[in-house]
Amino acid sequence: MGASVTMLDEIEAAIPSLRRYAFALLRDRAAADDLVQDCLERALARHAGWRGEGSVRAWLYRILLNLYRDGLRRRPAGVHLSLVNSGVVAELARPGAQEGHMALAEVATAMAKLPDDQRQALLLVALEGMRLAEAAAVLGIAEGTLASRLGRARAALRAATGRDESRSERTAET
Amino acid sequence: MSERKPVAEAELLAWRHGALPARERETLAARIKTDPAATATLAEWDRQDASLTALYGPISAEPLPEVMRAQLQAASGKTNRSVAARWPALARLAAAIALVAIGAAGGWGAAQLRPAATAAPGAALAAIRAHQTFALEVAHPVEVAASDAEHLTRWLSNRLGHSIQAPDFATFGFALLGGRILPAETGTAAVFLYENDSGQRITLYASPGDGTDDAAFRFVEAGATQGFWWVDSGLRYALVGEVAREALRAIATAAWDQLI
Repeated sequence: MGASVTMLDEIEAAIPSLRRYAFALLRDRAAADDLVQDCLERALARHAGWRGEGSVRAWLYRILLNLYRDGLRRRPAGVHLSLVNSGVVAELARPGAQEGHMALAEVATAMAKLPDDQRQALLLVALEGMRLAEAAAVLGIAEGTLASRLGRARAALRAATGRDESRSERTAET
Repeated sequence: MSERKPVAEAELLAWRHGALPARERETLAARIKTDPAATATLAEWDRQDASLTALYGPISAEPLPEVMRAQLQAASGKTNRSVAARWPALARLAAAIALVAIGAAGGWGAAQLRPAATAAPGAALAAIRAHQTFALEVAHPVEVAASDAEHLTRWLSNRLGHSIQAPDFATFGFALLGGRILPAETGTAAVFLYENDSGQRITLYASPGDGTDDAAFRFVEAGATQGFWWVDSGLRYALVGEVAREALRAIATAAWDQLI
């Protein structure tokens, strides 16, 4: 029983990050929270069967991503969530964004244009702070594949935000 | 002495997001310091990450929505009544493990099936048929080999219309050979084939459901082939093979655990 309680605590502790990740994927608060709720429902239904393989956190992200991808499959092709409707850009891209940040609107737009698998990968490491090994396990891909996805995603962001002046042969290698 | 070649992107990624041994970190740190392009790239990545955090981070500081609190609450209540030690959902039906024995010595005439038993054996029987067809196949047991894991996952998920990743049965000595798709009553089925060292094979079958409720493990057999089937989140699953029933049950349980 003690183990189960710990498991529940771990699940609870992960919820804020899951909400953040879901929001970054969907760019719609209500849809993001729906996704997290579905994820919780699934996780909580089987948490008692947890045998401690891998981290609880990685397991939760895998559940969330599965549900997210199922949602994408159901969405008719060609329909994309509108950035404009999300309000993210309007709210956060005011002039004078903090020093050191790029123009947030540009970043948001560039993120929206990334292929889905690159966005999923980049957000796991850049936003959720996962190590390569953990993120690769969450995505079910090899670390090398993950690295090349990250490389492409970061290069695309860099190009889109007008900071590719230093782009060298390095980015061309991928 | 040590030649300073430019730091490659893969190295930078490992530096930034990997878990390098201390030794390697030191060496790489020295090389990055003397490589302006690498330093600039890292600074750029820092800016990217800061932007992403600024865009999407604030939501994680908010209190949990009431609905999620309630979900957790309900789950902790269930945990305390540890009647259903595992799988609360399945335990409800655990008593109902049904033995659906089907006419023994082969032959798949519809007359031998017992539709009265329950709705699902359609998928369970399809799983057995798939197993009996492909487990014996030497030349082409699978369409996509396990070595191409990512393609396999993506392809089967797309065709099935549901994310599915082959569970890992290594603890039972079974390794994934690969997968294929098959037509099913309700759409397209995904089939995974596994093999152990002695050449025994088991098949995991998944097909879209018809919206009926989740169902617990049930036993099914046809001749020497037996298995367990269940329904979870709208998918009908079956795990079948010529393996002892208890071993199959353990593997099916692992499948259920992993098919999240």
